Amino acid sequence: MAEEIKHTPEAHAEAAHHDTVTFGGRTMPIYTAIFAILAVITIIEVVIAELPDGWLGTLLLVILSAAKAILVVAFYMHLREDSRIFLAALLLPLFIGIIAMLFLLAVPTTGYAY
Amino acid sequence: MSDISLEQPHTTEAHTAGAHGHGHHGAPSATRIDNMKFAMWLFLASEVILFTVLIVLFLIFRINHPEVVHEVHDATGVFLVALNTFLLLTSSWAMVMGLREMKLGNRKGLINWIGLTAILGTVFVALQGVEYSILASEGIGIYNSEFGMRFYAPTALHGMHVIAGVLWALGVIVHAVRGGYAKDNVIGIEVFGLYWHFVDVVWIVLFTVIYLL
Repeated sequence: MAEEIKHTPEAHAEAAHHDTVTFGGRTMPIYTAIFAILAVITIIEVVIAELPDGWLGTLLLVILSAAKAILVVAFYMHLREDSRIFLAALLLPLFIGIIAMLFLLAVPTTGYAY
Repeated sequence: MSDISLEQPHTTEAHTAGAHGHGHHGAPSATRIDNMKFAMWLFLASEVILFTVLIVLFLIFRINHPEVVHEVHDATGVFLVALNTFLLLTSSWAMVMGLREMKLGNRKGLINWIGLTAILGTVFVALQGVEYSILASEGIGIYNSEFGMRFYAPTALHGMHVIAGVLWALGVIVHAVRGGYAKDNVIGIEVFGLYWHFVDVVWIVLFTVIYLL
């Protein structure tokens, strides 16, 4: 069963006391751990970009970029604990944009022959 | 305007603290907090459309003219922009740490972290200026190449968002110095944080699409 979520300022202040993670025997704010992950992913991205071009590299870059964006939105923008309506406000225009991109990609670069 | 219910299941207890405006101790009520955040998310939704159009235009150019993009990549290198990406990621971390400090009741911590956010944002914009001057010296301007407009439009628009964010961060600092926030009143910082992290997310996408692919 999903954990009960409270939106009161008191609940937020209480949550700030408990938003830590322990890694390698060290306790740190979860935001610091997320930052470390983001930094490592960025380094991996730069290394991949320096390798010869290929579909695998492109796929990895897209996946890593999406992972970074999701981490920021989920943890820094608190979407993992906020209302799902906020998520819809983000995903709906993104969906529309992707559909528009697919239509634009279908247009031949040389134009249509009539 | 009627309130929009954004509560999760079983959270009515949290929302009974106050219907409108401020709850006890002068802190904004949960409903008001939700409405302010929802308003910011709607603004960000419009921003998603704006940036998606510009990114798609670049992607289509990238797919149709890969050789042009590779030439630019070879001319500029990835080091400077990777450093800039790291700076913006760090600024996002500083932003959320500032919010955390205020939730713990540490006003000085908030001011220090948001100050760091503003400094990193300023350095980001300055380095973007350096990058533009390098591109200009390589002959890549807005009007003299097909690449130019498609590159400068999204990156410069993003840069303007960073500048606006830095000014907003300074506003947050001034408000904090005047005692405008409290342990149970951080909605102003949260809304600014949503904006700043969104700018960071846009850069994460731009970095991959424009500089790495």
